[in-house]
Order: sequence, then C-alpha cells, then structure tokens
Amino acid sequence: MIALQIKDVNFSYDAARIIDGVSLSLKQGEFLGIIGPNGAGKSTLLRLICGICKPADGEIMLFEKPLAGQNQKEIARQVGFVPQETHFTLNFTVEDVVMMGRYPYQQPFMREKREDIDAQENAITAANIEQLRKRPVNSLSSGERQRVVIARALAQVPRLLVLDEPTSHLDLHHQHSIMELLKRLNADGLTVVVVHHDLNLASLYCRRLLLMHSGKIEATGTPNELIKKEILSKVYGTAVRIVRHPDKDVPQIFLHTD
Amino acid sequence: MTKTALIIIVFLAAVACGILIGPTSLDAQILQLRIWRVVLGIFAGGVLAFCGCLLQGLFGNPLVEPYTLGSASGAALGASIGILVFGTINPFLAFLGSLGTGFFVYTVARIEGGLLRDRLILAGVVMSFLCSSLVMIIMVMGGRELYEILYLLMGYLGVIINDSNRIMIIALMIVSLGLVAFLYRFHRELDVISQGTETAAGLGINIQNFSLVIFFSSALLIGLTVSIVGAIGFVGLIIPHVAKLIFGPKHRYNLGASLVLGATFLLIADTISRIITVYELPVGVVTSLVGVPFFIYLYKK
Amino acid sequence: MLPSRHSIIFAAVLLVFAFLTCAQEKKGNDYRVVSLSPAMTEILFSLGAGSKLVGVTTFCDFPAETKKIAKVGDFSNPSVERIVGLKPDLVIVNLPEQGRIKRELDKLNIRTFVSSPASLAEMYEEISELGAAIAVQSAADSLISYMKSNLKPVVPAKRKKVYIEISPRPLVTVGSTTFLNSLIHDAGGTNIFGDLNRAYPVVTQESVIARDPEIILVLHPERITGRTGWQNIEAMQNNLVYDDLDPDHFMRPGPRLIQGFNKLCEILK
Repeated sequence: MIALQIKDVNFSYDAARIIDGVSLSLKQGEFLGIIGPNGAGKSTLLRLICGICKPADGEIMLFEKPLAGQNQKEIARQVGFVPQETHFTLNFTVEDVVMMGRYPYQQPFMREKREDIDAQENAITAANIEQLRKRPVNSLSSGERQRVVIARALAQVPRLLVLDEPTSHLDLHHQHSIMELLKRLNADGLTVVVVHHDLNLASLYCRRLLLMHSGKIEATGTPNELIKKEILSKVYGTAVRIVRHPDKDVPQIFLHTD
Repeated sequence: MTKTALIIIVFLAAVACGILIGPTSLDAQILQLRIWRVVLGIFAGGVLAFCGCLLQGLFGNPLVEPYTLGSASGAALGASIGILVFGTINPFLAFLGSLGTGFFVYTVARIEGGLLRDRLILAGVVMSFLCSSLVMIIMVMGGRELYEILYLLMGYLGVIINDSNRIMIIALMIVSLGLVAFLYRFHRELDVISQGTETAAGLGINIQNFSLVIFFSSALLIGLTVSIVGAIGFVGLIIPHVAKLIFGPKHRYNLGASLVLGATFLLIADTISRIITVYELPVGVVTSLVGVPFFIYLYKK
Repeated sequence: MLPSRHSIIFAAVLLVFAFLTCAQEKKGNDYRVVSLSPAMTEILFSLGAGSKLVGVTTFCDFPAETKKIAKVGDFSNPSVERIVGLKPDLVIVNLPEQGRIKRELDKLNIRTFVSSPASLAEMYEEISELGAAIAVQSAADSLISYMKSNLKPVVPAKRKKVYIEISPRPLVTVGSTTFLNSLIHDAGGTNIFGDLNRAYPVVTQESVIARDPEIILVLHPERITGRTGWQNIEAMQNNLVYDDLDPDHFMRPGPRLIQGFNKLCEILK
C-alpha cells in the first residue's frame, strides 16, 4: 500500500516559495529521512503532510485518500506528529500528556474509554516511560520529554509517524535511545518520516533518504546512493569527507579541515 | 473529590455570608435585596474568572485576562457611551465595545496559522489605554455622569433591580450561562493547546477557528457582565491561578473550579465591602485590596 | 521660594495684570465678573447685575440671558485659561468642588469670591458680601429681605423622615454638609442621611430601606417605582414619592429656592 503520495505540491509563505514542485511516494513500512540545509523546506513539507498547512496547488494522498477532503481530526487519527520543540505551559503529568494523543478520538465531556486507556498504556510501554508516568512533565530532562512526546504521538495509533528533528539538543545516550525506539517501531510495521539535521544518524537509521534544497527535491535514494561527496558538497556548500561506518556498511560524514 | 467538596462548602458559606451578614437586620425586603446581590455576585465572579481561565488557557499566558486583552475596557467604553447618549447603560453598546477592541487586538496579533501571543497582550494593553482615555473624555464631557461611569469602571453589585431592567438582567444571565456551557465543552482543546499550537494542530485542532470562537465568545461574555455590574477587576486574573494551584492543569477541573471560586471570591469581597462602611463601596476596590495580598501569599508559598 | 523660571513667568503675569487693573480702575464701578456657580449667576441677575457677567459655566442655564454669555467650561472643569482670557475683576467659585480652580486663580492673583452656603443664613450672608464686593449693596439688601420673608423656617411637632435621591446608579443622596440638608430641616423634615458627614454620599439600597423614609424626593429624571426590595418602605406604601420636581429649585441656593421651599413645605405638611 502507498502510505503517502505527494504530487507537484507548491507552498508559499509571504510571497516566498517554500515548497516548489515536490513529488514523493512512500510505501507503507518505509523509514524515510529528510535531510537538507537550513531553510530547505523540510519542516514545511512535514506540516503539509500533517495537514497543518494546506498546499497552494498539487495533491497529497494519505493512504490512497486525498488529504484535502479530510478534516484535521481525521488526519490526526492517521498521522502522529512530533514537532521540533514542545513547550509545556501547563505542568501536566506524563500520563496526561500521553492521553492527549487520544484527542482526535474523543468527544467533549466524555470520560476516557477503554480503548483510550489501552492506547495510552501501549504508547507508554512502547516508549518505555513506565517509570516516569506520574512525574510532572516539566521535571523531566529534554531526552525524557522527547520520549513522552513520541508516546503522545503513538497514542494517536498512527499509521504514519512524522518527526521534526527528534534528536536535536539531545545527548549521545538520548540520541541513540530515540533512534533505537524509532527503529523498533518501524520494525513493528509503523511507517516513519523523520527530518534530520544529523546526516550521520540519518545515514545510520534511515533506509531511504530525501535530500531537499531550496524547496525542491535534490535527490533521493538509499544512504549509499545519496551520501556522496559531490552531492553534499554542492548542496551544503561545504567540503566533506565520507568514510564507512565500522559496524554497519553505511557512509558517515566528516567535515574537512586543515 | 475532597477538594471539590471543600470548595463547594466554602462557596455555600460565602453565599450564606452574603445573605446573612450586613449592616441591617434581615427582613423580607432586605432578604430580597441580598438574594439579588448574591446572584449578581455569583454570576459576575463566576463568569469573569471563567473567562480569565479560558483566555489564559488559549494564549498560554498567565497574564492574560479580560483586562489585559482590552475586552473589559472596551465594554466599559461602550457602556460609558451608552450612559452619555441614552442616560443609561446599554448592554448592546457594551458588547460592541468589547467585541470592537477584541477585533482590533485580534487583527493586530493574527498571523498565518495562529496568533502571536506576545503581540496579543501588547495590543490588548494598548487598547486598554486608548479606551481609558476615551472614557476619561466622556467623564469630563458628561460631568453629571461622572459618578455613574466611575462606579461602572470599578464595578459594584448594589445595582438597583426594577421593573424596567429585571427581565433584561435575567435574560442576559441566561444567555451568559448558555455561553459558559458552550465554552466548557472546549476543555480538552485547551489542555492540548497548552502544549503549543504546532502540537495542537497536529492533533487535529483548527487553531485559527478555535481561537476565534474562544476569543470572541469570551469578549461577548465580558461585555454582558460589564453591562450589568461594571468592570470588576482582578477576579479574572487571580482566580484561574488559584484554581490551577488547587486542581492542577486539567481544564475540565480548573474551568469549573474558576467558576465556583470566582463566585466565592466576589461574594466574600462584596460582603466585606458592605460591612466596612455604610457607603456603597465599589466591589472592584475590595477585590484588589483583598486579592493582592492573597496572591502574594499564594505565590510565596 | 518659587523656582526661577516660574518666578519670571509669575512676574510677567503680575505685570500684565497690574496694567489691566490700572486700565480698568479708570472705568470706575464697571466690574467684570465670571461666575462658576449657577446659583450665584441667578443671584447676580436678581440683583440687576447680570450685565457685569462676562463668563459663566455651561451649567448656568437660568435666566435665559445666560445663553449669550461666554462659557468657560462646565461646573467641575472650567478652563482657567478661558477665565483669565476674559480679564475678570472677580471670579465666583464654589467650594469645595472648585477648590483646584480657586488655588490656580489665587496663584495668578485673580480675586475670587467663595460661595459655599450650607444654610439659609449663610446664603444671606454671601448675598450681602457679594453686593458689597461689586457695589450693588442696596439691591442685595432688598433681595435678602424679600427672600427672608418668603423662606420662613417651619418647626413642626414631628419631623418627617426624607430621602433625597440625586442619582440612581449608583445611589447618590445628600449628606449633612449640603445646603439641601439644611433646607429640608428648615421646611420641617429631616434628611435620613443627615448623619453622614459628606456632601453627596453613595449609599446602599439596604441602608435606605433600613432607614425607612416617609417621603422620597427624586431629583433625577428616572422613576423609582418597581424596585426589588423597596416595596415596603413607608413612602412607597403611602405613595409619597415625588419625582416631578425641578432639581434646580432645591439644589441652587438662589432666588428660585422660594418655589422649592414652598413645595417642600407643602410636601412635609
């Protein structure tokens, strides 16, 4: 099944074209990494996929149904979104935050149903945050908080999980644990799209990469096909050196210096 | 559950104080008068605190309240114009003032896909200043209406109820209750929005429409309240904080708690204003006098 | 001491005024008077001195001739600049309401005449003083004796309790320091809020009901019927509510008081 089909999509903001004729097809069960320099339009593309922004023209199909005809709650039952940064202005407990992922399924005034509680439990287990469940969310470290936000997205029981730089500002341990978590979820059948700043992590975990530049898709392919000196040097405007990862046969990047 | 029982007991005690405590002994007439006063107190205190809670939730800013968003000042301006032109407070002009400032503030703060929260407060405060200046001009121009406008600006519950306004006040209160019930249903949306507009949009909330509904419904509610009892300050700011301190962040609880606590607080303030002097002291004066030390105490704790 | 910049302006102003007063003294008794008091405006006209008025407030609406006189602002906010512009020899001010204006005029060395009568006796005294101040003494004396003969205090066996309502929102009444308070007493009644040591206190509905007035005088255009909680007040029960009164006949200690006083005596009989 095709999880996501994007056809000739354009999007402008204040007369500036952010997304310029993007087309993309994603099969169910894929693990796609979107990379590219700052301002390439990566985050905007994610927002278009989640239905937060509407494309100026072009078409987006979600699980073979056009996105345009669906309301935001319907979309939220299919796509779980982890934004780049989450500020918690109110100090909810971890459990409460995860339960908010059930919002697209709930009605006003109604208590949580059995399936809401089950989804919450599964999400907490999957994100491995049982020991944090009663803690107020503002008392957590940023790594722990990111797991909670992912759990909230999982409580949506999405078929597609979309994350915007989930490992930025995190230490090595948390970077690793978040990426391992995504890998596990993907292995269990969840389709994952993740915007990455860190090319090495992207190369290590994503099975397919999409390189964006100035609102356009520059190249797409496996890490081996895409992480190449000439492609990256051109897009990023910086000289890089490519080596192989010692454990897994994928390319890794080093900056060049004298 | 014990907390709920506790605030309801305190509320009932405040109602009892409002009815029983006063400078004169209770008889049938005084009772009628005090019941009306208590009803107005419950209504105004509840609605103002509810709106404060709603707006603080919507904008994720603890400083937002009917005053900082300019709605209360706009309503006061509308009502003052009513006093000057028609010789009496015209509820329609109060809504118009409240909605008008709301509209201005909203337009200034509106951006693609949401509201700039900092700009919202700034625009609100600016509009408050503008409305206050205009009210001052009306006060100077009117002369004889000075007292009435002054009391409107501070708010008081000793409003005379007579054959010509009784039905209208009851009708306005019923409309307000309907609006409160309507707005209460958004408790989940407010919880979700506290995690940021991006998250909320991702979970299926149409931020633009939702903000519009909450913002203008609460402006309408504030206009209704001001047209009856004047622009009572401080309740809308402090009570939602107290509600959150007691019941935590979930709006299902703290919206309801704001309603009850706001009513309780205003009843207590009004009882105090009635016993400390034989004069009619605007209850808005007492809310600040009692509220500020209480607020400092709560936050130092 | 005044700061130097101020003293220069002050000196300049003084010089100008010294010149103006010199110029005017040549004209003899032709006084230029600004009246900020509606009552005093009426008195001046009764004294035949209306032509001396060069400025009044927008509240000075009686007699009809006041329409033609320059307005210097309203009762609470007259403009000092406009007053000064009229080059008055004398400005009549009401205290305590116009205390600020009086202080400013004092600073500019403009002569003021203070009016703040709290009783008939004080009113007569003021009329006499005003007559002396603008050289219409004999007219003043005859006005006083005319008013005295028409305003004879009544001493009844039992004084009726009177509530006076100036404004309904909020409830404003008159306290002990007002002229009206003493006028009610002279007409044979007693003000239920005569114990409050203020001019125009804002009172609660509850206190009105508790003080249970026998007579209610409504000095604003609204009707007071149908109020919740007021039904059993004695005045309401006996229908002794007077809401067709002209407030100016009671609130202005001047010649028209005679009509107000006679009406009061009739009501309180």
